[in-house]
Amino acid sequence: MSAVLTIDNLYKRFPIAGSKQVVQAINGISLTVEPGETLGLVGESGSGKTTVGRCIVGLIEPTAGTIRFRGTDLAQRQQHKAKLAGKIQLVFQEPNESLDPRMKIGDTISEPLLPLKLDRETRRRRTADALRLVRLNPDLLDAYPSELSSGQQQRVGIARAMVTEPELVVLDEPTSALDPTARAEIIDLLRRIQSERNTAYLFISHDLSTVRFISHRVAVMYLGMIVEQGSAETVFNRPQHPYSSGLLSSVMLPHPHLKIESSVSLKGEIPSPINLPNGCFLASRCPFVIDRCRHEMPPAETVGERHTVHCFRHDDVAASVPASDTFNVFMKEAERILGRAVPSGVAPSLQ
Amino acid sequence: MSLGAAEVISNTRNASAGGDKPPLIDIRNLRVTFPSGGAEPKAVLKGIDLAVQPGEIVGLVGESGAGKTTLARSILGLPPSPGRIAGGEVHFEGRQILSLSESELRRLRGRRLSVVVPNPRAELNPLLKVGDQIASMAKIHLGVAGKEARRMALEILREVQIPDPERRMDAYPHELSGGMAQRVVIAMALICSPAFVISDDATSGLDVTVQAQILALLAKLAAEHGSAMLFISRDVGITAHFCDRIAVLFSGEIVEIAPREPLFLEPAHPYTLMLLAAFSHSPKLRDSWTVPDTDRRRERSAGCQYADRCPIAQPVCRTLRPPLAEIGPGHFVRCYFPVRHA
Repeated sequence: MSAVLTIDNLYKRFPIAGSKQVVQAINGISLTVEPGETLGLVGESGSGKTTVGRCIVGLIEPTAGTIRFRGTDLAQRQQHKAKLAGKIQLVFQEPNESLDPRMKIGDTISEPLLPLKLDRETRRRRTADALRLVRLNPDLLDAYPSELSSGQQQRVGIARAMVTEPELVVLDEPTSALDPTARAEIIDLLRRIQSERNTAYLFISHDLSTVRFISHRVAVMYLGMIVEQGSAETVFNRPQHPYSSGLLSSVMLPHPHLKIESSVSLKGEIPSPINLPNGCFLASRCPFVIDRCRHEMPPAETVGERHTVHCFRHDDVAASVPASDTFNVFMKEAERILGRAVPSGVAPSLQ
Repeated sequence: MSLGAAEVISNTRNASAGGDKPPLIDIRNLRVTFPSGGAEPKAVLKGIDLAVQPGEIVGLVGESGAGKTTLARSILGLPPSPGRIAGGEVHFEGRQILSLSESELRRLRGRRLSVVVPNPRAELNPLLKVGDQIASMAKIHLGVAGKEARRMALEILREVQIPDPERRMDAYPHELSGGMAQRVVIAMALICSPAFVISDDATSGLDVTVQAQILALLAKLAAEHGSAMLFISRDVGITAHFCDRIAVLFSGEIVEIAPREPLFLEPAHPYTLMLLAAFSHSPKLRDSWTVPDTDRRRERSAGCQYADRCPIAQPVCRTLRPPLAEIGPGHFVRCYFPVRHA
């Protein structure tokens, strides 16, 4: 099998201290990521996105299910330590919180190389390469994180992840703390690195516009389940799960006339993952709900190539609004508004 | 989530943008400085002029460090420490806010002027039930008795669509989700039916579906209570759907202000174009509005603050500060060479 990452029926439960209750954070998810592919993982807070990322990098142990990296079961991470070293990396959301404030940038970037037992010269070369890769000025090697802008700090976070030449990088909301310009630069950077190194990304984000742009495929999470998964274009243009559709309708593009049409208006909030309902988890918020949804969990149905959805009424959901590629329409509009614009002559105020 | 209600409300309101009616709040030449190491204090707001009409929602966008939060707080006479109001006036309901005494200001804030901030948990007292915290606003500012204040608190909790409001009255802040805590803070800001509400990035930490619900709610409440709002956001996209007019703040100055359609469809200031290009997902468009390798934090002592980052800057831009000039109905831009659209 050629996939970099294969997750099969993953569960994660967190016991609540002093109680018999458990938080059911991940409830049976399966996914694959191919080399050079970006899988966008979207959903609201509490949907379990970050927990999935942490299971993959080994920060937490899954309760059940398997995670395979290039066929190696990560439950036996320790036995395959040498083979796996540096192959899976993580980039955090808050660059200023994930960098050690007392460590120089150069040391921060080269630190992940220490367990790889490379000679000093190779370490230095790899660090310099990583710095070039993220287009940071070599003068910054001796700087401390506080001397950098948040965009530069996130470049350091990415350089630190890339220095071990990983095959898979889990990016957990890497741009949500950044200003629009810095965010756009980081996204460009990630795409360029991917095309140069064929790195696979699991891109965790609630910013659907960025996900649409950077991802080849997208998985929509709700209460620890992937309710829909498919190519970014298919899922975004014609969602078949009511939750995907509702989530998309709340995207606000910076254009006063462009909105994503949806027949789903999500009311209320994501329920507690402690007492999960029987049947479909969305039933209490879903306008397409039928009696069956309340006591039977809809199984994963394959509705297209690598496209699965957990909904009894996915045909009705898909048919409820015409398919539209609003993101592409927006990009064409941006091209028209910002591309054709020409500087004018001298303004009246100067004459 | 549809913003239908907001759209309808704002369409009827657009005519009033920059119109003939007296503004509800009129900010004139507001300047705020922060002490710097040197002799000269650092100017953080460099003469802000902004008038908001009754019932109008004005968006304020700009990157971190532009002065958005400083503006939000200085309008209320509370510049963030160690900032100082160095000049200017804020006229509101016949009074100049910045010349009021501390006790007069305190009576105004929370009652006629409210601010909603992000991070609702920091705003709430962890030891008090949320119902009591909301009711205390009505007690202090409107002088109503305990029972009536509690009735009002319950009613406003219902209005902000907190599920099961009777039960939430007796909840402590830690028992609420982030979305619910934000609604409580909004309820506290609105219970006295203030005439002017400042939302300082109050929805950015929320999930998109909750955010959409809160925005629709803010628009509805603003329309029902006839209040106006200054909606400060990092998320430019929201303002395109939620605000009547949008002001673009750069380096402590409003560089462009316009009703939302001209602002997004015919942006004129090179900084606005650069900002919008950041959302276009097109590196080519971004490059065409960016000057490579400029220090974004450098301040200019003369001319246009944007001159060093501006791809179309001319020599005059580096010597003379451009005024805010009207280039279309209600569309003002601080640039000698505003971009024209065919």
